[in-house]
Amino acid sequence: MNDVLADIEKEVKENPVVIYMKGTPRFPMCGFSAATVEVLNEVGVPFKAVDILTEADKREGVKAYTNWPTIPQVFVGGQFVGGCDIVRELHAKGELAPMIRNAADRR
Amino acid sequence: MVDPQEVQRCLEAAFPGARILVANPAGDGEHLEVQVVSPAFTGRGLVDQHRMVYAALGDLMPRIHALQLRTEAQVEGAR
Repeated sequence: MNDVLADIEKEVKENPVVIYMKGTPRFPMCGFSAATVEVLNEVGVPFKAVDILTEADKREGVKAYTNWPTIPQVFVGGQFVGGCDIVRELHAKGELAPMIRNAADRR
Repeated sequence: MVDPQEVQRCLEAAFPGARILVANPAGDGEHLEVQVVSPAFTGRGLVDQHRMVYAALGDLMPRIHALQLRTEAQVEGAR
């Protein structure tokens, strides 16, 4: 488990935007993952997607890392931002895009 | 699968005085939409607010297939 947590930490710190999801952005396997990818696509900044159905150890790993019970999970600038509902809400309030652009610009 | 009323009672116990809505739009007890407006959320970020709801749901959480959650801090004195 420690290795997985270290992998996740590295992943979220090295990429401005990371989503842990079921399936891939092109073929999401869950409605919540699909809706979250749609929001990220609207923001338009490239993001890294990790398919927890393929990388199965990360399924429980990311839940333990964030103490958050559900997938998808979105990280911006190394920080856990939330799941589908929070990401959608931040986008609706106009707060998500600036957060993501900030993180992308810091690279 | 859960009884939406069980979810309602559980949240009412955990968040006294909150406005709580539990919807079961598919009627299957698997896909729930929950809204909690509580003064307990004041000063906390959305991640913390959602964590508080997940914690309150406890053993009910794994029995819900999909939970759509919306939380809001209730302004003092407002109804």
